[in-house]
Amino acid sequence: MAKEAKQFAIPPVVFPSGGNPSAGSNIQQRRVPTAPFQPPRSSASSIPFMSFDIGSAAAASTSGSFYGGPIGSGSSSLPGGTGFEDEEPLLDELGIHPDQIWRKTKSILHPFRVNPDLHKESDMSGPFLLYVSLCLFQLLAGKIQFGVILGWIIVSFFFLYVVVNMLAGRNGNLELHRCASVVGYSLLPVVILSATMLFVPQGGSFVFAVAAVFVLWATRVCTGLMVALVDGGDEHRGLIAYACFLIYTLFSFLVIF
Amino acid sequence: MSTDENLGFQSGVPIPGLNPPSNQFGNAFCGAGSGLIREGLGAYGKRICGSSSQYVQSNIIKCFSDPQYYFQVNAHYVRNKLKIILFPFLHRGHWTRITEPIGGRLSYNPPINDINAPDLYIPFMTFATYLVLAGISLGLSGKFSPEALNWQFVKGMASWLFQAMLLKASLTSLGGGEAPLLDMIAYAGYTFTGLCVAVVGRITLSYAYYLIVIWTSMCSGIFLAKTIKLTLYAEARSYDVTIHNYLLLGIAFSPFPFIFCLSNPTGNWIS
Repeated sequence: MAKEAKQFAIPPVVFPSGGNPSAGSNIQQRRVPTAPFQPPRSSASSIPFMSFDIGSAAAASTSGSFYGGPIGSGSSSLPGGTGFEDEEPLLDELGIHPDQIWRKTKSILHPFRVNPDLHKESDMSGPFLLYVSLCLFQLLAGKIQFGVILGWIIVSFFFLYVVVNMLAGRNGNLELHRCASVVGYSLLPVVILSATMLFVPQGGSFVFAVAAVFVLWATRVCTGLMVALVDGGDEHRGLIAYACFLIYTLFSFLVIF
Repeated sequence: MSTDENLGFQSGVPIPGLNPPSNQFGNAFCGAGSGLIREGLGAYGKRICGSSSQYVQSNIIKCFSDPQYYFQVNAHYVRNKLKIILFPFLHRGHWTRITEPIGGRLSYNPPINDINAPDLYIPFMTFATYLVLAGISLGLSGKFSPEALNWQFVKGMASWLFQAMLLKASLTSLGGGEAPLLDMIAYAGYTFTGLCVAVVGRITLSYAYYLIVIWTSMCSGIFLAKTIKLTLYAEARSYDVTIHNYLLLGIAFSPFPFIFCLSNPTGNWIS
C-alpha cells in the first residue's frame, strides 16, 4: 500500500446508482484528505451539501452512496470536472508568458541587432508593463501623466498603423495588434530615459543630448522591426523611420520637459 | 499570446467603430497627439474597399477619393517635393500633372511617377513635425504641458481643415467642383512645411523670425497659387479671367495668417 503523501490523487466520481469503480479498493487506502477545507463529516449526517469532489469522493465512498447525487452534480459543474491540476496555470490562461516578455525586452536592448523572429508573435502584456513602468518613473519625477501617456500611446499605435499600411501599398499586412506590440516594446529606451532623468540635473543641453540618444535608439529598433515584419516595408525604410522618430520624440518631451 | 485576429484584418482594415474626433476632448485619453483624425481618413478609405454597402460606398466615394493613391511615395519624391514647396520659384519644370488613360478615363499619375501630384504623406508628416517643433518651442520657454501640446494639435488641425475648406469652396464656386477633396486637403497641408520652418526660426532667432514668417508664407502662397491655377484651368467652366486672378491672389496670401498665428505656440486654447 503506497501512502501518497503529497499527491492530489483524483478519485473517481461515485454515482448513486452505479457501483463503485474498479479502483474502489484504492480509495480506502487513502488517508490524507486532499481538500484542506473539507470539514469533518460524520457518515451518519443526512444533510447533503456541495463540496469539491476530491476529498468528498473519498468521504462519499466511506459514507455510502447518499452523497453521490449532489456530489455528482457538483462535480459536473466544474469545468475541468476532476481537479486543480487539469486546469492551466493562471498566467498561461491569461496569455502572459513572462519568459517571452523577458526575451523580447532583452532583444530591444541591442540597438544594432534586430531580431524580428521573436516579435512575430505579438503580445500586449510586455507593452503594458513598459507603460506602467514609464508612468511610475514619471510619478517619481512628480508628474502624474497616466492618462496622457496612455492616450498618446494609443494614438501613436493608430498613427503608425495607418502610415505603414498606406505606405506598404495594397499588400500592407500590418495588423493593429502587431503594430501595437512593436511600438510598445520599443518604448523601452524611453522608459530607461525617464529613469535616467531622475538622476540628471534639470536643464542644460546635456539633457537634450541624452534624450536624443535614447530617441534614436528607440527609432532604430522600431524601424528595424517594422521593416522586417511588414511585407512592403523595405523600400520605405526612411519614411517609416521618420514616423517612428516623431512618435518617440513626442514621448521624450513628456520626460524631459 | 497568439495574435488576436479580432483586432486586425488581413487586408489592413482598421478597427471599425472609431470615435469621431469631435467628442474626444473631455476624455482622459483624449485630444492627444497627432494620429487619430488621420487614421479616420484611412478608415474611410479602407472602408470603401472593404464595405459591401452600396449606400456607404456611394456616399463616401462622393466625398473622398481613394487615399491609397496619395501614399504611393518614395524618398526621392519626398525630397524633391519639399524642395518645390519651400522654394517654388526654383522649379524649372512645368507644373502640370501627368495624366494617362487608364480604363478609358484620364487619370493622374501617382506621386511616385509625377512630382507635381499631391500626396498625403508629406502633409501628415509635416503636421506631426510641427507638433514636435511646437513642443520644443513650448518647452524651451517653460510653458510645456501635455495639454498645451494637445491644444496645438487642435489648433493646427482646425486651421488645416479651414484652409482646405477655403480652397475647396473657392474652387467649387468657380465651377471646378470635380477636384477631389483629398487633393485640397493635401494642398492645404503643404503649408505646414513653411510653418515648420517658421517655428524653427522662432526657436533659433527671437524676433527676426517674423522675416522668416513673411518669406515662408510668400513661398507657400506662390506654390499654392501655381498649383491651384492649373487645377482651375483644367476644371473650371467659366473663363472669367479677372475673378480667377483675384482668387489666385487671395490664395497666394492665405497662408500668411495661418503661419503667423500658428508659429507662435502658446499653451492656451485661443491665441
